[in-house]
Amino acid sequence: MDFTLFDYFTDPVLRAPTIGSMLMGLAAGLIGVVVYLRKESLLGETLSHAAFPGAIAGIFVASFLGFTEDITTLFMLLGAGITAFASIYLVNWLQVKVRVPSDAALCFVLAATFGVGITAASQMQFTHAAEYRRMLSLLYGQTATMTDFHIALYGILATSIIVILALLHKEVKIVAFDRNYAFSLGIPVKAIESIFFFLVVLAVIIGIRTVGVVLMSAMLIAPAVSARQFTNRLSTVFLLAGLFGICAGFIGNYLSLTLTHSFSSATTRVSIPTGPTIVLTAATLCLFALICAPERGLASRAWRIMLFRYRCLCENILKCIWRLSPEDGTLTQELVKYFNTSPSLVRLALHSLKRQGWIQNISHQVWRLTPDGKIKAEKIVRLHRLWEVYLADYLGVGAEKVHRNAEEMEHIITPELEEALTKLLKDPKTDPHHQPIPSKNPVL
Amino acid sequence: MGKGELSLASDELQMAVLASVAISGALVGSFLVLKRMTMLANALSHTILLGIVLVFLINPSDDLYYNIPLFLVASVLVGAATAFLTEFLNSTLNLQVDASIGLTFTSLFALGIVLITVLTRNAHIGTEVVMGNVDALQREDLYWALGIALFNAIFIYLFFKEYLITTFDSGLAQVIGFSPALFSYLLMGQTSITVVSGFRAVGVLMVLALLTAPTLIARQLTHRFKRLILLACLIGILTALIGVALSRHLLSVYGIALSTGGVTVCVISAFYLITIILTRLYKQSYVSPHTSS
Repeated sequence: MDFTLFDYFTDPVLRAPTIGSMLMGLAAGLIGVVVYLRKESLLGETLSHAAFPGAIAGIFVASFLGFTEDITTLFMLLGAGITAFASIYLVNWLQVKVRVPSDAALCFVLAATFGVGITAASQMQFTHAAEYRRMLSLLYGQTATMTDFHIALYGILATSIIVILALLHKEVKIVAFDRNYAFSLGIPVKAIESIFFFLVVLAVIIGIRTVGVVLMSAMLIAPAVSARQFTNRLSTVFLLAGLFGICAGFIGNYLSLTLTHSFSSATTRVSIPTGPTIVLTAATLCLFALICAPERGLASRAWRIMLFRYRCLCENILKCIWRLSPEDGTLTQELVKYFNTSPSLVRLALHSLKRQGWIQNISHQVWRLTPDGKIKAEKIVRLHRLWEVYLADYLGVGAEKVHRNAEEMEHIITPELEEALTKLLKDPKTDPHHQPIPSKNPVL
Repeated sequence: MGKGELSLASDELQMAVLASVAISGALVGSFLVLKRMTMLANALSHTILLGIVLVFLINPSDDLYYNIPLFLVASVLVGAATAFLTEFLNSTLNLQVDASIGLTFTSLFALGIVLITVLTRNAHIGTEVVMGNVDALQREDLYWALGIALFNAIFIYLFFKEYLITTFDSGLAQVIGFSPALFSYLLMGQTSITVVSGFRAVGVLMVLALLTAPTLIARQLTHRFKRLILLACLIGILTALIGVALSRHLLSVYGIALSTGGVTVCVISAFYLITIILTRLYKQSYVSPHTSS
């Protein structure tokens, strides 16, 4: 069973699950951005569970009336949509009129609707076994039996989501970011929010067959969160979220098929469920984005912090050399004593400073400031002592406490701030510890 | 079929187990609802599946629920892991709290589903976990459910003051010297073992109903805390009895076979809605200016 990538889109058995999953990823990713912005991820959880009884009812009615497979699907989706949408109003009623805390309202509606669904489904366990299996497949999704009809249906629903979001993109922006301002502008906020909920329900409906009700909320969260890590612009977030959703849908589907193949042998067949695999793919993508994204990612932030600390170390070394002995050299060993980092890091910093031209080697392991280095060191000391004057004399902080804070501030005070401080403090000549403040230097 | 005397669990056994689970749920749920931790309880009830996987890895057997003590330990560990991961996503990765919880437990649950399907080579295990199988309950399950309920009761009795203060005024608690975080973790541990006691009977998702609904109903009826806990327990027991009885009645008289766990959840949900309506009507008539006495 060797499929090429192309086969996944053309083979009559494979193409429906593949394209269906991708459409689900797209829809969930897009509306997931709105859910993320409004911090309503847990509402998505409740909504998808609440879709379950409606789907059951739809299947029940359709099979009772003896409809075909495709019409049954339509009934199922319609039922799912109705109960999911209704659950929003139930949660709202509980929160507002009955004064239940929001999380308890969500959890209760979630558990209650799901329980009702399970009860209804269990009724068919022995009487209508085929329908029962079908209902259970809604829990975690079952892509294997999807047909081209599903592609068409989900295509229409996903397109609706795209079109509505595109038409309303200005309103989406305002209502999501500043609700009260939207009210003041005369935008029908309640109507827009109802449209949001409607779109979430559409996404849940698409997802019900692919990832199932229990896991759907993950697809509403993961692609949007991943996208958010890469950009600040809303339109780009939407684009990336849709893209990540599509990728998760495709890769998850692909993985579940190949892993099923590798885990199954001639005798036992172990099928890796597709829905959970898609969710795991999306979650892994999300974790990757959270850690590795440029700027916002954890790794990037850690790297920036490390660079900053290194810069602070270099500047502190400059200050140290300046203080110890400006004219004769300073031994590396002497310097190392002043810093509680590893000696090798100090030596590395010394070489960086030499490379940048702030210090020079008089002889082996003996350092001296260059003229530029002297100016820079004095500048840092000036900033340090200016700040101490500001804290001690202007803000009234005790003189014994100002040093610590100034040690940190000296590395980040900008020239504009230095200018302002000099003017405010009337160009002081000594700091609270009675040490002279180096005068303002020419720009290096 | 195992250690029970009957092949199909008798109604009394089912009632007793469900009632024990309901008591645990009411006790622990009272604090969960007041501390606004129900979503975390939802998360725990999902990730317990990973605990099942863990037990299965250590102690593979055909009967998935064979080794309950091991399972209890595993569930507490997995619960702690869930809490840690959520906190990691929230503080270190700077993700908003609702997305942190949602992402953590759904992905851990997905992982659990995949692992359990592969390990047990049984594609239907996922539905059993979610729905429970009250007909397969045995004496041993009752002993564990009762034991856990007793443990919860004693634990809450012993630490009542601490739980009370960390729930209602965590700032004051910290100032006095109690750690709100510690008691939150303890409560989550209790939630984990409650879910374990119940998931075979009603499945993991419906234990959530037993954790939230009794307290919510009792909250409609009283504002005094000790009374709330007591009422919640009573309501839970009542629901368990009615649930099993109703399910049996429907089967014998009308020939409709329903999941007893599902029926119990329906019953308690109906109770809640009825209680809301009745209390609102009562309040309306109480505050009406035309009341005669």
